[in-house]
Amino acid sequence: MTLDDFIEKFAFAIEVEDGSLTPDTHFKDLSSWDSLNTLAVIAMADADYGVTVTGRDIEAASTVADMWSVVSSKRAAAK
Amino acid sequence: MSAVSGVAIRAVAAATPTRVARTADYTYLDPDERRRFQKATGIAERRIVGPGQCASDLCLTAAKAALAKLGWAPDGVGALILVTQTGDQPVPATSIVLQDKLGLPQSCVAFDINLGCSSYPYGLAVAGSVMQTLGIARALLLIGDVSSRVCAEHDKSAWPLFGDAGSATALELDEGAPPIHVDLCSDGAGRDAIIIPGGGLASRRPPVDGRIVDATGSDGVQRRADNLVLRGADIFSFAISRVPGSIQRAIAASGRQAQDFDFLLLHQANKMINDTIARKLGFTSDRVPTSIEHYGNTSSASIPVTLCANAALFATPRWVVASGFGVGLSWGSATFQLPAASILPCIDTDDAY
Repeated sequence: MTLDDFIEKFAFAIEVEDGSLTPDTHFKDLSSWDSLNTLAVIAMADADYGVTVTGRDIEAASTVADMWSVVSSKRAAAK
Repeated sequence: MSAVSGVAIRAVAAATPTRVARTADYTYLDPDERRRFQKATGIAERRIVGPGQCASDLCLTAAKAALAKLGWAPDGVGALILVTQTGDQPVPATSIVLQDKLGLPQSCVAFDINLGCSSYPYGLAVAGSVMQTLGIARALLLIGDVSSRVCAEHDKSAWPLFGDAGSATALELDEGAPPIHVDLCSDGAGRDAIIIPGGGLASRRPPVDGRIVDATGSDGVQRRADNLVLRGADIFSFAISRVPGSIQRAIAASGRQAQDFDFLLLHQANKMINDTIARKLGFTSDRVPTSIEHYGNTSSASIPVTLCANAALFATPRWVVASGFGVGLSWGSATFQLPAASILPCIDTDDAY
């Protein structure tokens, strides 16, 4: 459960090449980003981390690292 | 105990228009977006009404089919309950118009319920309760929507999702029928997730028909005030986090186990949502029939449409747990038994009455 794992899962969910994302990637600025990606990220957070991310969480985040902090803090709170 | 006792489901029929709208032909998405849309939602095509056909027409066709299958005379039907969010006119309730069009007696109880995706469990609970309490032997629960009539065609967050459909479930008092167990929930704090903001009295439109102007939403999409707005991410989070618990509560109330149910019937909103819910509950895909690929999200009618689109699975008696969830927010689940061959195949129709 590291940031590196999360980045890999994030890239798979939104169908971009493995290794093309960094913690600082502003994912909503990617040319391929759209509302379907939002659903894919919510599904990934649920399936791989057991937490419910909302549309608002994604709206509020800028970078992939921001999303990891949302997911990891929700995980910690659930424990 | 949350249950309706002594009410049997005798027949379920569903009707859809003949006109097919394919995801592959939706030009507001580019080809790659269409591919990804279809993969995520599971929707390849939907049925869309022509200008003259209403949800009431689709429900009426389904109702006639159900009555014909059972050999029920119209004058023996003591209640007609219509669940829709796309009635024929604001007033009077469309169910009352259908009482006349179906030739049901004036002693028939008729009223509308304004619910969408959660209609099936709510409808079974209300219809069954009214029958049991008032001693009504036979009732028709009609459920349907023409969502295409309230979505803007260029709104890619809504238009390519919805299909039109109507359904009829014939119910009969029967002391020997196993109880229908339900779990019904509401959360109005989520009302903005799916909303038609204009056209009602809260929108402060002029009291006579004023000009309806386009406005640009926060998502950049232009809509009329009486178009539907759908915030998919909010619905997605809501569905995967709160629906599994509702289904588990209905199953627990029934005294049965998840493995005792032949099928899990889910509102057909989106393939990713339903795959997630089924996985959480331990239902493999062969026990979760779908209709979303060919009918899209048929709103209130999605559970009956899914039953009818898979009628061959119901040749023998089946135990079903069904769950509807969405606009409101409103969600609920019901467990029930379907007698052998009670599900009619989907009917294609352009009839308008």
